[in-house]
Amino acid sequence: MNFFQLFKLDSLNGFVVLAIGFFTVLALVYSSKFMQAKRGLVQYYLYMVITAICAIGAVLTNNLVLLLFFWGILGLTLYLLVNLGGEGANLAAKKTFVIVGGTDALMLLGISILYFLSGSIQMDEINISLTGNSSGLGLAAYLLIAAACFAKAGAMPFHSWIPDCADKAPLPVVAYLPAAVDKLLGIYLLARISLYLFVLSPAVNMFLMIAGAVTIIAAVMMALIQHNMKRLLGYHAVSQVGYMLLGIGTGTAVGIAGAIFHMLNNSIYKQCFFLAAGNVEQKTGTTELNKLGGLAKTMPITYISCLFASFSICGIPPFNGFVSKWMIYQGVIERLSSGFNGLIVAFCLVAAMFGSSLTLASFMKLIHAVFLGQRMNQQENKEISEVKWQMWMPPAILALICVVFGVFANQIPLRYFIQPILGNIVFSGWYAGVTTLIIMIALFSGVVIFYLNTKTVYRKDQAFVGGEALDSDAHAVTGTEFYNTVKDIGLMRMVYKKAEAGVFDIYEQGKKIFRVSDFLRFLHNGIMPTYLIWMLLGMLGLFFFLR
Amino acid sequence: MEILKSVFNYLVFPGLLFSVFAGLMAGWIDRKVSARLQWRVGPPWHQNFTDIIKLSGKETIFPQGGKFTFLLSPFLGFLSASLVAAILGWSILNPDKSFSSDLIVVLYLLLVPAVAIILGASASRNPLASVGASREMKMVLAYELPFILAVIAMIIKSSGAIQLGKVINHQLFFGSNVFSFSGFLAFVSIIFCMQAKLGLVPFDASEAEQEIMGGALIEYSGLGLALFKLTKAVMLYTMPLFVIILFIGRDLSPLFVILKFVGILVIIILIKNTNPRLRIDQAMRFFWRVPTVLSVIAVVLAIFGK
Repeated sequence: MNFFQLFKLDSLNGFVVLAIGFFTVLALVYSSKFMQAKRGLVQYYLYMVITAICAIGAVLTNNLVLLLFFWGILGLTLYLLVNLGGEGANLAAKKTFVIVGGTDALMLLGISILYFLSGSIQMDEINISLTGNSSGLGLAAYLLIAAACFAKAGAMPFHSWIPDCADKAPLPVVAYLPAAVDKLLGIYLLARISLYLFVLSPAVNMFLMIAGAVTIIAAVMMALIQHNMKRLLGYHAVSQVGYMLLGIGTGTAVGIAGAIFHMLNNSIYKQCFFLAAGNVEQKTGTTELNKLGGLAKTMPITYISCLFASFSICGIPPFNGFVSKWMIYQGVIERLSSGFNGLIVAFCLVAAMFGSSLTLASFMKLIHAVFLGQRMNQQENKEISEVKWQMWMPPAILALICVVFGVFANQIPLRYFIQPILGNIVFSGWYAGVTTLIIMIALFSGVVIFYLNTKTVYRKDQAFVGGEALDSDAHAVTGTEFYNTVKDIGLMRMVYKKAEAGVFDIYEQGKKIFRVSDFLRFLHNGIMPTYLIWMLLGMLGLFFFLR
Repeated sequence: MEILKSVFNYLVFPGLLFSVFAGLMAGWIDRKVSARLQWRVGPPWHQNFTDIIKLSGKETIFPQGGKFTFLLSPFLGFLSASLVAAILGWSILNPDKSFSSDLIVVLYLLLVPAVAIILGASASRNPLASVGASREMKMVLAYELPFILAVIAMIIKSSGAIQLGKVINHQLFFGSNVFSFSGFLAFVSIIFCMQAKLGLVPFDASEAEQEIMGGALIEYSGLGLALFKLTKAVMLYTMPLFVIILFIGRDLSPLFVILKFVGILVIIILIKNTNPRLRIDQAMRFFWRVPTVLSVIAVVLAIFGK
């Protein structure tokens, strides 16, 4: 077998490899300080490096069996890395392993069907159409492989490991795997099978769009009510995947380009968020929102990085998240038509656009509760200072990329990374350069006015609370109760209660299905005679059958 | 040369300077009509200008901490509001030259003034401002859903155009959007959303003077406060203009634009003067029931071509 058939570099996986390498470097630099005094460092770095190698292998490979091999090792290292976290990490790791590993098994089945249908395991030789009538098996293969992609990227209904994992695993691991590299892998493979291996039918496209829209809305609604910074970010890591599914589901050039661009952008700002959360945890020892507050003054670089990443994830122009979302919207709008299909597309469009407002809401809450707002525990916070350079630099670099990729979207990322995938399609519009230049000039002149204006006086003073003495502990608004009104509105209350009880969690529901195993457990009582009786019965059955 | 022209468009006409002028004049109409409704005389036409100039000369007091965000967020809101004014004005003047998919850019930019208020309020380290910020954000959530739905209804109505110029041209040939079933329903819904986006009574819970003393703006003084007032003024010019383009954009000669603008302004002023302030949860329930349902019906009707 030719070596070059095992691996193949093309325009779709080239920049993904680049991105994985970049994220690995940042995560390792960050870990050098964050993980310093922790135990099991040898394993930690070993697993990280194996992950990086396997991720690059999985992206570059052209052979489905090899892909399965790398994919499996990635699941294993993910389990091991999550397990390195503190208390409760073992349960999160188990959940992760069950969901990711289980869908890997589905992928094995899918790849077997693919081999059965096409007689080849070379990715570039497979091209199966799902549009015909006799495409049941092909559809099954597509959905089975897509399930593995969904689980890896964290789309619904295989999302529930990400919030748990974000909560319990060590933060560099979360920032590296579920937030960045796993997203790249999952969406890359989905794009690979959707664009190259299969020719999608309109029904499958519609399925992807609906899955995307539901993921966006449901996950962001859960994020809105979280009390912990890490869990909140975890739910957003799920929600953003919805945009990518939606973009790929549109099947239009601009939508797919937007989805792939969003995959890249999302990895950038999501890693930035988790690294910033790591900084906060390192300095204050907690990520509970109601114990934090007023960190902007003591940790300015972390704050600015986090603020820029927030602007980016909410899609405020001219940050990078805006450009990719805007392309996805264009793709969705191209699919608008009259009739029933049009209604579904309109629903997806509304879900995506309103989801973006909800994202904004939960990040305003985060910024308020962690960095701005009133300062909690004043005595303790006095000693807090900015973290060491190994820890503030990676988020700062990522925040800077958010700005650069947004302002010069057409010149850098779209031109070098996205356009080659789709060939000769040229994107028009959004010449952010001039607009941003003007805004920059105006902002700069604003700053200059502030500093040159000697006539007006600047004075620092206590906040004014109607003449009362300001007691920051008693008066503090932490931000955790920002959206209690939303939580209390009729229907919402019911849905939230169900969601918190795990009704929408495939892992919790799966447990119920596997109640069947309780019977097997009952049989496995470890008493020799019972097993002998079963063997005897089995042999009798066998003899009867072979008679 | 091209860059100079865009700079002129942004800074002078139809952008920053012009929108400030128009917005402050609209604010004067608002104050004058409100005064007449309450049997008062009302201020002279230059009152708003005088206020702004006076405010920007005053001392700026900032609370302890969060200085950078506190001082810069007024600029953020003001700049993006005037950028929207520039884009809208540009596409009225040159419907064929507007850049592609600018409608979505406008939608997102219209969100930024609210973001600026929330960030500024959060940075001011004041519990009352935090309450104001929370209410402002909830109000955004409340009106954004029907607002997006109404805009999407009009996108469908204009056969999938997400370019302001194309929306205008579509209405040039097929008549104003408002004169259709879907258009009318969406128009009614968007009027409410506009009222909330402008932060006017009955949807001004985030600044409720009587309860939380200006809420989000409580710590602002001097230039910062002036800029927030200017942002409101620019929005008072921009939002009606946006509604005009989407819904009654058939004839956009200067005289008609002014007439339509004043007409919408009168609706805003009437709603403002005849309603008491809603609590934030009442406002949320209202927006997620009445205007949302209207907008959803509008979207369905638009898809079926009504």
